[in-house]
Amino acid sequence: MKTTLAVLIASTALTAAIALPAWSAIQDRAETRPITAILEAGPDAQPVILASNDDDDDDNDNRRRSERNNDDDDDDDDDEDDDDNRGARAPNPAPAGTVAPPANGLFGNGAPPKVQMN
Amino acid sequence: MKSLLATLALTTALTFPGLAMARPVTLTTTLTNYGGDGAYLALYVKDASGAYMGSLWMAGGKSKYYEHLTDWYRATSGDTAQINGITGASVGAGRSLEITLDLADTLFDAGYTLHVDAAVENMRDSPNEVAVPLTTDGAGTPVKGRRYIANFAYKM
Repeated sequence: MKTTLAVLIASTALTAAIALPAWSAIQDRAETRPITAILEAGPDAQPVILASNDDDDDDNDNRRRSERNNDDDDDDDDDEDDDDNRGARAPNPAPAGTVAPPANGLFGNGAPPKVQMN
Repeated sequence: MKSLLATLALTTALTFPGLAMARPVTLTTTLTNYGGDGAYLALYVKDASGAYMGSLWMAGGKSKYYEHLTDWYRATSGDTAQINGITGASVGAGRSLEITLDLADTLFDAGYTLHVDAAVENMRDSPNEVAVPLTTDGAGTPVKGRRYIANFAYKM
């Protein structure tokens, strides 16, 4: 009887000695949080690392899309720039009626030009 | 009385040359139905030796297309100061452009020639589409163009 009691006390003491540190370690690492709180906290707060992250994919898509759009815009701008600036192009002339005709000796000093399209 | 007459004669003598130095001239350009966008036209004058004297009108306001008016562009290097105040819209196919300008008398019967260059987007350029001597006898006589201009005439 004494022997049995001694074995029971020894096994309980061993179990307690091993189990208490392990149990306290589990308590430190695994804080119990609701799953919604983890999801709301974002990817950095997630207790596991996902092999694939939708947010990353979206970022890439957005980047690709925006790069494509930017490229398109750049191309368009380049085209327009090419059209307008190739060879230091002269400015558009002043329309009739806004300034006097040039003094090239061909015009008198009378009435300003009149134009009609039929 | 004599001094009044003398003053009147003097003022008339001074005023008349000024009135007689220029006259309104109407330039009419009628385009064919070439089936394209609006045509750019450059109307300009050369002297008897073929030297560029100056421009009378530019139909079309964007300078980037002027290089297609090849003869005018070669003569002016595309200098838009030559056409400030004498530039209007391009002319659609089948339409008629009528411009009335106050032109110097010295332009007529003095060996000057009026030239018209034409250009249409995505179609062939047509320099010297019309070349017509500026004479009082030639006024009112239509001249046929080569490609886009059905006829051109000037009236005094």
